[in-house]
Amino acid sequence: MSLTQTWHGVMNSSLARWASVCLLCFFAAVIVMPELIAQQSPIALNPTRALQPPSMAHWFGTDDVGRDLFARVIYGTRVTLGLVAGALLISALLGSALGLMSGFAGGLIDMILSRLLDVILTFPPIIAGVVITGILGPGADHLVLALSLVYLPMFFRIARAGAISENNRTYVEASRSLGFSEGHILVKEVTPNVLPVILTQYVILFPLALQIESALGFLGLGVAPPTPDWGSILEQGKNFILNAWWISLWPGLFLLASSLAVMVLGRSLQERLGKG
Amino acid sequence: MILHLFLQKMVSALLGIFLSSLAVFVIIHCVPGDIVGQMLGQTSDPVATQALRAFFGLDRPVYEQFFDWLAQVAQGNLGVSWYQGRSVVSLILDAFSVTAELALLTLLIATLVGVPLGILAGICEGSRVDAVIQGFNLIGLSAPVFWVGLMLLVGVSATLGWSPPFAYASMTENLKDNLEIVLLPVLSLSLLQAAAYSHFVRECMVDQLRRDYVRALTAKGLSPTLIYFKHVLRNVLIPVVTFMGLILIQILGGTVIIESLFSLPGLGRLILSAIQGRDYPVVQGALLFVACIAISINLLIDLLYGLIDPRLRK
Repeated sequence: MSLTQTWHGVMNSSLARWASVCLLCFFAAVIVMPELIAQQSPIALNPTRALQPPSMAHWFGTDDVGRDLFARVIYGTRVTLGLVAGALLISALLGSALGLMSGFAGGLIDMILSRLLDVILTFPPIIAGVVITGILGPGADHLVLALSLVYLPMFFRIARAGAISENNRTYVEASRSLGFSEGHILVKEVTPNVLPVILTQYVILFPLALQIESALGFLGLGVAPPTPDWGSILEQGKNFILNAWWISLWPGLFLLASSLAVMVLGRSLQERLGKG
Repeated sequence: MILHLFLQKMVSALLGIFLSSLAVFVIIHCVPGDIVGQMLGQTSDPVATQALRAFFGLDRPVYEQFFDWLAQVAQGNLGVSWYQGRSVVSLILDAFSVTAELALLTLLIATLVGVPLGILAGICEGSRVDAVIQGFNLIGLSAPVFWVGLMLLVGVSATLGWSPPFAYASMTENLKDNLEIVLLPVLSLSLLQAAAYSHFVRECMVDQLRRDYVRALTAKGLSPTLIYFKHVLRNVLIPVVTFMGLILIQILGGTVIIESLFSLPGLGRLILSAIQGRDYPVVQGALLFVACIAISINLLIDLLYGLIDPRLRK
């Protein structure tokens, strides 16, 4: 099944899926031009207007140091979703490349790589994330490293399984008998056929990675302040939860909405893949 | 056959535990900053640093430290916490009793809510009931656990004027306080897991109801109730048991955040504070324990699988 067919499958579906596509477009717009949506600065401090509830001047209220929460949540979209998308892209590229090679080559290389990557799967993802960011210390680069490492084995497994199943197909045998090199068969013939599965896996893992990213931020292991990030805003709001609930409400709702939108998209892709 | 499979899985599990311990050991020892640096702070005196490093055994090569630790583990000794001076085993067991309570209560509520919802949605596939349950599943799966916890905290305090007690009390000390403390954490964890359960059971039901044997039973004139509860549910049970293992491992992970939010002295908090304090024996011991728990759950599920499904016993 080609990527175009997958996309058509998504577009031909119900209202919930359309809503998800609209939400994704909204998030894309926010990521590209946050300054058009939020007029105020996400980092300018103003202690005189600290902990103000939502109002016309500050739609989402203000935090404990008087920063506008609407601006922080809007600018945080780029940071949070960007970090997750980037980290997952790294693990998708690296994990799939390793998985495809490992599954295609088989033998000792396959065994060693599988065993090594299984080590990460021994721990629940959030614990693995806490261990990596906890040891290395907070910071965007460490967060990306942790997320990419945690999800690497999942891409590895799916790409490896794809490569193994494709390896037994007649077209691979035909390419071999035509004299094409193994590298050519892997890159030009096998990879395009495994790509839709990897893409679907990316979309399915996205909400999970988003939850881990925000959880790490919430534990104080995410990006360094004052960079706005949904998890970090939630961590900050935790201390004022009973008298300034709005600090925690909005980033959580944005997290919920973005996870929901991507999850619905992932399900549609998965269904299409199942039918295809 | 089952014994052979079990032994094979045991060997691979032990190898997994060994490799994961090695990985944690290497990472933790290769990153700059250790307990000595934290104890002495900015004013590090080379003589004191040297003496403290020797005291904690940090001056020896990493591989030597690892094999020493491994030899101790083989004898059931996980060492002593560098911060608290207590044995790591007793620290882990104390913390695990909190986490286990959270995990088991969550599993119970998630199963009691998620499985019936999933069955109902599966039976009513395509109806409004199904749409509502699927909506619940999607929201439950998308909402971050800690955010649900925060919102529950705000919700109950605003509407009922109630908030959980601050100091943790174990079940044996004060059952009422204990249940009040774990109520909100368990509810927040349960929402996600009930949604995951319900979604999974629904998919299994829908898949089973499309099978030929269901059509044959309907043609035979059996009542739908009998088909659902006598025939279909038995087949749905097999994947559901496997899923229970996955859910338990997920809950184990989820407790890390929820324990930190509600200040519960569980395993997650133990790991987090040990990592931040560079208390290596506790980090190593607790992670080894988590790996063992995760692997044991998987092994147990494999065995249960064989017990439930006679076809796998051959």
